[in-house]
Amino acid sequence: MTAIVSEASDSDRVMRRAAGGDAEAFRELVEEHQAMVFSIAYRFCGDRGIAEELAQDVFVQLYRSMGDIESPEHLMFWLRRVTANRCIDKARRSRLRLVPIDKVAEPPAAVQPSDPLFARALREAMAALPEAQRLVVTLRFQEELEPSEICSLLGMPINTVKSHLQRALGALRRRFVPDRGAARDAVAPRRQS
Amino acid sequence: MNLDSELRAALRRESPPPGFAQRVMDRIERESAQPARWWRSEWLTGRRIAAAFALVALLGTWTGHEIVARRRAEGERARENVLIALRIAGAKVRYAQEEVRQIADPTEPETERSSTP
Repeated sequence: MTAIVSEASDSDRVMRRAAGGDAEAFRELVEEHQAMVFSIAYRFCGDRGIAEELAQDVFVQLYRSMGDIESPEHLMFWLRRVTANRCIDKARRSRLRLVPIDKVAEPPAAVQPSDPLFARALREAMAALPEAQRLVVTLRFQEELEPSEICSLLGMPINTVKSHLQRALGALRRRFVPDRGAARDAVAPRRQS
Repeated sequence: MNLDSELRAALRRESPPPGFAQRVMDRIERESAQPARWWRSEWLTGRRIAAAFALVALLGTWTGHEIVARRRAEGERARENVLIALRIAGAKVRYAQEEVRQIADPTEPETERSSTP
């Protein structure tokens, strides 16, 4: 308990120093949150170079907006929202090249849970999802956010968030979970013609 | 297979390329060194908009005053015209009355008639 409180107050102190113009404190903030911002951008655009550029833009904007940040929780919310908005803007401007789901490499036949190859195939399949679904899945499973938190972050109705999640998971399941229909067909006796 | 847990494992946060924080700090320093164009342009745009509003407000007030003054002058002129018309009409009526009285009683001296128009 004491450790959590002191960690929170440390973050708060660093944030206040950064808001006061302390460059070293701001660098600490960047180092603390860079993986989160970079990963959201990378999952969305699928290109490390573009993701770094987006993440840099987010932190430069944060530097200018430090005076508006009220707490470490607000900082997290602000970073996630600005990153998501910048990703969407970037996609609208440049129409990022998306990989059609048919072109994504098939996963190995026998997949073991947490298999690195399977994880890679999953990431590649996710990259082929529509933009909004990709962003919602990233926020749900990378950032562990609840649908209600995602809806306030992206300014979407909760039902839209849930429907994006369901559609995305449905598409991924159809791709990776063994086809029950095919299995049923294989088991059912063939009709004599 | 539990897709949710597989997704959580596959979507772990990744670190950006080494030196990311330094590149961010360099960029901030570089952009702070030269006055930010976006800031200047926003500031100037704000001033322009404020000046335009002030000008429109000034013109609006002046036009309003002009319209009110013109209407007042027109009203005054109309009032004067009505008074003159009433004065003329009154004199005519008085003259007509005198004429009628003369016709009715020719012995009455014509003293007041001379003063009528």
